[in-house]
Amino acid sequence: MPGPLEGIRVADFTWVWAGPTCTLQLAHMGAEVIRMESTRRVCTLRMLPPFAGGQMGINRSGYFNQYNQGKRSLQLDISKPEGKEIAKKLVAVSDIAVENFAGGVIERMGFGYEELCKVRPELIMMSMSGCGQTGPDSGYVSYGPAQVPLSGMSSLTGYAGWQPMHVGMSYGDPNAGLHAAFAVLSALIHREKTGKGQYIDMSQWEATMNAFGEAFVGYSMNGSQPARNGNRVDHMSPHGAFRCQGEDRWVTIACGSDQEWQALCSAMGRADLIDDVLFRTLADRKVNEDALEPLIEEWTITREPYDITTTLQAAGVAAFTPLVNRELAEDPHLSERGFFVEKEHLEVGTRKHAGIPWRMSDTPCEVQRAAPVIGQDNDYVLGEVLGFSPAEIEDLKTRQIIT
Amino acid sequence: MPDCALEGLKVVECNTTGAASYAAKLMADLGAEVVKVEPPDGDLARTLGPFPGGERHPEKSGTFLYYNCNKLGVTLDIGEPRPRALFDRLVADSDVFVHDFAPGQADSLGLVYERLRELNPHLVMTSISPFGHSGPYRDYKAYDLTSLSAGGWLWLNGWPLHPEMPPLRPFGNQSAIQAGVNAAVATMGALFARLRSGRGQHIEVSTQECILSILEFAFEIWAYMETPTARWGQRPIQPLDFFQCKDGGWIFALCVEEHQWQRLVELMETPEWTTWDVSTNRFVRAANWDALRPFMEEWVSQWNTDDLYRAAQEKRIPFAPASTIADLVDSPHLKARGFFVEVAHPHAGTLKQAGAPYKLSATPWQIRSPSPALGQHNAAVFGERLGLSSAEMQEAGI
Repeated sequence: MPGPLEGIRVADFTWVWAGPTCTLQLAHMGAEVIRMESTRRVCTLRMLPPFAGGQMGINRSGYFNQYNQGKRSLQLDISKPEGKEIAKKLVAVSDIAVENFAGGVIERMGFGYEELCKVRPELIMMSMSGCGQTGPDSGYVSYGPAQVPLSGMSSLTGYAGWQPMHVGMSYGDPNAGLHAAFAVLSALIHREKTGKGQYIDMSQWEATMNAFGEAFVGYSMNGSQPARNGNRVDHMSPHGAFRCQGEDRWVTIACGSDQEWQALCSAMGRADLIDDVLFRTLADRKVNEDALEPLIEEWTITREPYDITTTLQAAGVAAFTPLVNRELAEDPHLSERGFFVEKEHLEVGTRKHAGIPWRMSDTPCEVQRAAPVIGQDNDYVLGEVLGFSPAEIEDLKTRQIIT
Repeated sequence: MPDCALEGLKVVECNTTGAASYAAKLMADLGAEVVKVEPPDGDLARTLGPFPGGERHPEKSGTFLYYNCNKLGVTLDIGEPRPRALFDRLVADSDVFVHDFAPGQADSLGLVYERLRELNPHLVMTSISPFGHSGPYRDYKAYDLTSLSAGGWLWLNGWPLHPEMPPLRPFGNQSAIQAGVNAAVATMGALFARLRSGRGQHIEVSTQECILSILEFAFEIWAYMETPTARWGQRPIQPLDFFQCKDGGWIFALCVEEHQWQRLVELMETPEWTTWDVSTNRFVRAANWDALRPFMEEWVSQWNTDDLYRAAQEKRIPFAPASTIADLVDSPHLKARGFFVEVAHPHAGTLKQAGAPYKLSATPWQIRSPSPALGQHNAAVFGERLGLSSAEMQEAGI
């Protein structure tokens, strides 16, 4: 099935997680995404676990294979002049180029926007460095896990009275990748109408701050930031994770209105709480939250989290157990929706991967192929896309331009 | 004004969770004409705050002010027949309709693609919901917290040494941000396809799937190694940890690549513990982190936060401070890039907001107008754009 970006080609200079998340969205929509990579400096993700069966190898990382589905891999040593020329040849027949090195690096490598425009004037180029291409800290090195504290998110996240905490994953990376994909596609629409490409300077740091912009408005109003407060929020109560039967099992429950609170009371067999003056309104429940939460946990602690979820959902109360990876993989809802992707990978066989979180009715999107082993598409890209003869390709391999 | 990437694009937004609002914000900030349709008593975001001095006011909610710049605001009670007919006329005159009504609610309001397509075959309709429009959880109720649970994010955060503490939410409304940005990405894809095919289409976005798509390696550690995830316990490499500095601030110490660690060892002046076998590589350090951590803690405690950040970055070691909002607002780097923007609002005053997440060279991100007051653009949209007389507007309860 052709996706909406059929016929669009992406010259992919990205690595680690942020950049590949951007190009993953383009691959999901049917663009031909060609990764340029080399065994001389292997992509960080190829070297990070989990490795299939626990056995390390550059083609065996589930982390890499998740975020590079549907893409092609060209091995290319872009530190050599001939490698650079081949990369430019690829850019010349591409619509979009994406990179996520630290600020200024891509230019020093000889692939700055002006340089690439010489071979492809209508190019849309996305640079998505940690701190952007300008400003005194633009050359700073940055990875997704550090974006969380740098952006201010850690100072806002944590148990009440505890130190700044993480958010459990390198959120700066995928958040930047998705925002980058949006910007690239907007530029592509603009190009389709005007014929003009452009350069996009994106800072992962700045994109992360956009994910909780209300905190900055609040600071501007009041000169303060909200204290870390665990799972509690000002506008709902109860709002938390409650311990259930079993080891380290939990259920999250959130009531967005007095009606939902009343429904929760009834479902817990505690209709008596509905008229309790301590908990009648949101304001009451917020003031008495320390007394309220143990009453809920008293009920959840003897019950299994899935049962609680089902019972409360039937009563119209938002509840769900925090799913662990195995439960996600075995979730009947996700399976019925056909969310998971299991394509044959050359080295690790068929593994379950997260798929595409949207469905399109007229241009259905489908993961085209499993993530590539390194160099899987050397012959296709060099031969069919760039027009090298088999003898020339052999020569490039011998001279370790393709390596 | 310079060109806008999405100039001329007409969008209708109905928001209940923040997700539709964020998707439309991304489009509005690149030049789309977004008409935000609020119920007569206003978007829920008007009640969320933060408020100046903590005093509630529907025109002064920080959440509403942040999400709705550059939009036109109209009010319609779309549950009633006459306003609904007006809403249909608005959709018929638009390119995109993005909403986040729960599936059952959308059905009962008649906001289904099969019907709206009849009004406007070019329409791209984007429906965001907690679990998607099919499957056994379709009609489950959800808020941010429970969506983070269902998508697998909530489980990932907490404190490995304190299993008595619950899984922990990240600050904000991140499930809405992620559903919103995914919806915006997919909508752009559909609009690009429409430029070539002339046809609109329906896009369905599941918040649960949006979260599950970004769990780093947490999902794959099951598919590849049959290992369950632990709450922030699986940090396969170290250093990747917070430490407190002399001035009371916190630094996030991180070395992803081995060469970064080697430069950190130089910066620390090669203390003995860095020469031990348990410090050999990032995986071994992670396995022995309980033993190594105190040494690192001791070294960090002799530094002030910003000095350590700069000293590490001088050596290309990817440390970062745990910034406060005040640190960010005062950051010389962010100032030099002009990141924060001042937006003057007739009721809330002039406020500093997070600015462009990306700088497009030919079609820059820009603030053209502050968030709309409730019903501010009723006359402009229904009168001028759709050509209604004031009598007709009155009949529709506007």
